[in-house]
Amino acid sequence: MNQNGHEPSVMIVDDEEMVITSIKAFLQLETEYEVHGFTDPECAARFAGHHQIDVAVSDYLMPKMNGIQLLGRLKELQPEASRVLLTGHADKQSAIQAINQVALFQYLEKPWDNAQLLLVIQSGAERARLFRDLREKVDELDAAHSSLKEVQKRLLQAFL
Amino acid sequence: MSHSPALQLHQMASIGRLLTGIVHEINTPIGSIFSNNEVTLRSLAMLAELLEDPKPGSLEKAQRIIKTCQNLAAVDQIACERIRSVIRGLKSFSRPDGSEFRRVDLNGQLRDTLKLTQAEFRRRILVETDFGELPAVECYPQMLNQVFLNLLVNAGQAICGEGRITVRTRLEAGEVHISIADTGCGMTPEQQAQAFTAGFSTKPLGEGTGLGLSISREIIEDTHGGSLDFESEPGVGSTFHIRIPVRQGAARCESERA
Repeated sequence: MNQNGHEPSVMIVDDEEMVITSIKAFLQLETEYEVHGFTDPECAARFAGHHQIDVAVSDYLMPKMNGIQLLGRLKELQPEASRVLLTGHADKQSAIQAINQVALFQYLEKPWDNAQLLLVIQSGAERARLFRDLREKVDELDAAHSSLKEVQKRLLQAFL
Repeated sequence: MSHSPALQLHQMASIGRLLTGIVHEINTPIGSIFSNNEVTLRSLAMLAELLEDPKPGSLEKAQRIIKTCQNLAAVDQIACERIRSVIRGLKSFSRPDGSEFRRVDLNGQLRDTLKLTQAEFRRRILVETDFGELPAVECYPQMLNQVFLNLLVNAGQAICGEGRITVRTRLEAGEVHISIADTGCGMTPEQQAQAFTAGFSTKPLGEGTGLGLSISREIIEDTHGGSLDFESEPGVGSTFHIRIPVRQGAARCESERA
């Protein structure tokens, strides 16, 4: 569970409905995660604009937008989310491109192995949580630092 | 009617080119079936546990698990159907009886062939079909499939990026008229003049055999007494027209009289 009491949120994007149904059923059986499935990458990107995502698992070949383009959009929207490419196209070029361009967390191939997929999603969620915690702490430090500066300024004004 | 080695070679080449798409097309449903099978086994184990030692809330949990299993069984059915339709498409090219002369539904033949190209086209090319009602046509179905596949692969290769292929069938005065239109790069007048010449290819070395259109014309015109022609405009696209008489006997008499 997350620090703020929410279960990790996982996004599955594949233009094949059957892939989403299968992975969703598996995750719901094994975990308490919130799972959101999308067959349309544009809908997935819109959703990510308003909802927190911890792990995004995307297919590569999809109409309108490929997986790397989608994960790139997600990276801008939610930099802390872990990005996973799940592809049926074992293509080294797209793997390298994905790793370099969108700082991919993991690259998986179809047909996938459920145990491996679960491990990847669990560690992806953990990684996202750590990133968010870190950012919160940095924000707290920043806030503390600027209030200290404010106090220092007032002190200096009072005494000088 | 025996197959010429050139025809067979060309057929293998076109199927080979589609193989990556076919593998992808089968991989996805198999991935689903594998995963669903595992989840179903786990679900059954959980159900057994719940029945062994019922607790408050067990019933609701069991009902949820059963609902999941029902959903997965429905997905498996769709997945198997997908694999079967790809295999059916492939079979129509390897069936030994396919080289026999018989009466077939050409719309069905086109549908089977489109299943093979679909994997390759699906994310890039919109395939529209406009099938009119057709009588059973006397023909060598396997050979016609080869022509359909050849024209569809050509159409797909002519389109770089996204585009549309329209397949239309009509019965016109005792003839079946099949047109395959693409929104591809089209052919220059020089290319059009040589299109049916054996050995001529606009494709990079290794991609085309240069036999496709000349073999297709042989099959349609010499074997079936029909016609194969096209219109094409560079930058706009090409449309190929296949015309085949419904009854071979009648056509042969006509062409003998002519």
